[in-house]
Amino acid sequence: MSLLEVSGLSVRFGDAEVVSDVSFSLQRGERFGIIGESGSGKTLTALAVTGLLPEGAAMRGSISLDGVPLPVSERAMARLRGKRVGMVFQEPMTALNPLMRVNDQIEESIHLDTSHGATQIEVPYLLKEVGLELKHGDRFPHQLSGGQRQRVMIAMALAGRPDILIADEPTSALDLITQRKVLDLIADICTRRQMALLFISHDLKAVGALCNRVAVMHRGKLVETGQATSVFSAPKQPYTQKLVAASRFDVQPLLRPPIGSTLLEVDGVTRDYRQGGMLFWADKPLRAVDDVRFSIASAECLALVGPSGCGKTTLAKIVVGLDRATAGEVRLAGTAYHGSDLPNALRRDVSLVFQDPFGSFNPRLTIAASLAEPLRLEPELSQETARARLVESVEAVGLDTGMLARYPHEFSGGQRQRLAIARALVTRPKLLVLDEPVSALDVSVRGEVLALLARLQADFGLTYLIISHDLDMVRAMADRVLVMDAGRIVEEGKPAQIFAEPQHRLTRDLVAARLPDVG
Amino acid sequence: MKRLLSHPSLVIGLVATLLFLAIGLLSLVWTPYPIAQIDIPRRFLAPSAAHWLGTDNLGRDMLSLIMAGTWTSFLVAAVAMAIGVGVGVPLGLAAAAWGGPVEWLVLRLTDFVFAFPAVIAAILITTLIGPGAVNAIVAIGIFNIPVFARVARGGALSIATLDFVAAGRLAGLGNMLIAWRHLLPNVMSLIIVQGTIQMSLGILSEAGLSYIGLGTQPPETSLGLMLKDAQSVFLIHPWLTMVPGLCIVLIVIALNIAGDGLRDAIDPRLRQGNPNVLA
Repeated sequence: MSLLEVSGLSVRFGDAEVVSDVSFSLQRGERFGIIGESGSGKTLTALAVTGLLPEGAAMRGSISLDGVPLPVSERAMARLRGKRVGMVFQEPMTALNPLMRVNDQIEESIHLDTSHGATQIEVPYLLKEVGLELKHGDRFPHQLSGGQRQRVMIAMALAGRPDILIADEPTSALDLITQRKVLDLIADICTRRQMALLFISHDLKAVGALCNRVAVMHRGKLVETGQATSVFSAPKQPYTQKLVAASRFDVQPLLRPPIGSTLLEVDGVTRDYRQGGMLFWADKPLRAVDDVRFSIASAECLALVGPSGCGKTTLAKIVVGLDRATAGEVRLAGTAYHGSDLPNALRRDVSLVFQDPFGSFNPRLTIAASLAEPLRLEPELSQETARARLVESVEAVGLDTGMLARYPHEFSGGQRQRLAIARALVTRPKLLVLDEPVSALDVSVRGEVLALLARLQADFGLTYLIISHDLDMVRAMADRVLVMDAGRIVEEGKPAQIFAEPQHRLTRDLVAARLPDVG
Repeated sequence: MKRLLSHPSLVIGLVATLLFLAIGLLSLVWTPYPIAQIDIPRRFLAPSAAHWLGTDNLGRDMLSLIMAGTWTSFLVAAVAMAIGVGVGVPLGLAAAAWGGPVEWLVLRLTDFVFAFPAVIAAILITTLIGPGAVNAIVAIGIFNIPVFARVARGGALSIATLDFVAAGRLAGLGNMLIAWRHLLPNVMSLIIVQGTIQMSLGILSEAGLSYIGLGTQPPETSLGLMLKDAQSVFLIHPWLTMVPGLCIVLIVIALNIAGDGLRDAIDPRLRQGNPNVLA
């Protein structure tokens, strides 16, 4: 008999069926992964298993644990959740109570399991099991890093000694190195405790690294289920094939204009942030960017890689003129500036594409109004030319000009990112700074957006500065890679060379943390 | 629009508010009797066919007084709100868009104004320019400024961190244009909701100021002034205080219900979301 049996599960919100007829089973000690893009219904499936569906959701079908259907009463369900089913959520900051110390939070979940006696013994043991030290137990969630918080979540889930651990995108808010560590930890614990794992993710590689058996969800339906190796190496359904292909980042090499002379020079740029304290008693300033020097030649694609918090986004903001360097200067085609004092005449030559396609458009403006905004930098353009520019850039990113009159909420994430690229192109810039251009997108559209970027570079001879922590994307796109750690550039080289023979400690960690390719 | 009308509390509150507003507007062109007509022989009449709500201690028709008083209350509260929005919202947006010393100045200014209740401001103005409806408007309006400044700043601060504001700055937009194009449209719903709340508070304040003799002066009338006139004969003729009192209560309740409904209808945080967001 299987440990968890889900059959014919459907979840509806009013008329919209978001999960339809999903059936799967989970054996004791098995690691099962559900793969799906945003909106595919994978999280709702997990919530249905734990009986935590949001208000307004109507569920049909049956879910049974050890052959016994899930209890209907909330009280009995709550007991079950602590003891039999542990859950780890996506965003560890909001899942932990900010006003409780870590020890107390773990203790709370132990108390729910009445068979336990001594919490004083259990808590240190759990902390040790998830790789935290005793001192971390006395801290508050905000005093821990993202990875440490996720470890606390895991310790809390383990407190009731569950048979099943449900992990919903546990690593998507973490950077590459931490992601690998947390995945390894989950694998370890599942093996040691003989615990079944229901792992939910959009990341094929994470699922491939962790799970024996996988299911692929698309628009609320399970499209394919099977052994991880067979699903990834020989996907049967077209959707699965598309997903597997998209996860490989195969960017076709295009005929590109030759790399020219130096376009942008960053010379000793430093950025300090004043923190806390009074005017004259200020604490030591936080140095986000520390004496960074590099240059980009025109038509080159330079990637800046580093863990979160290493200062790469701050550097990008200085280059595009959103932030001001404390010391040092940037030279664009020979004109020196320090950041926000970038003269308007030069602003049209630099554009930025933001990470989050959902926050980068004003919801109250039409796409045309948002896209035309950068054209203010070229007041000499006539109305017709401006309109022609809009049409040209929208067509360049492969969208229809009819979309210009619509509002941002009518578009999907991938379309919005295309529109964001169109906005960046509308002034015909020389340098395009891309801040994590695909990390907020679904796997299946990442490939399309990258192919678009490669094509635009070939067509218009653009220069790219790509900021990312995703080594696979960098390998596919970049001509040259800079590795940044704690505000400094620590390594530089061709992608192939850097990934084959990493020199610096951080680069070695990054390369080692890469998850194996699927299939 | 359909979405707005699906909130019952909004519809009830809005209909009741508009009803009172219509009564008030009607008083501008027609009242059953002129409100300044004093006729001692017919004073303290009970409600009858000729005088639906009776007459007061000077023989004036109560219905006519209520109609005119409702209009005064709405006018004072609305103009005071307009002053608050007109001065407060730009201040709040400026604080969010410029930051630094501008923000400090705006915040300290709002703290300073908050420290004086509307009554103190009204007494100050009365000693300077004499009592009257205008001075009630000014006093309540000044009191509204920091409220709107804070609401606008709070809303704008959360908008200002979004990427489209940064995109605007990249496009060379100055702080003024950022505030106008990007911040203001996105905090508008907050301001509208706060506006209805300040309207009801304004009506209460106007009644309070008139009651202590600092607001509307006879022969003009307002609901607060009617309460004041009736209080000396409260034990003998309780009806005369009941009518304006109930009127104030009903208007304030109607505005508050409308405000609550409006917040439910347009606050995106309370809106029933797209289920896709969860998955």
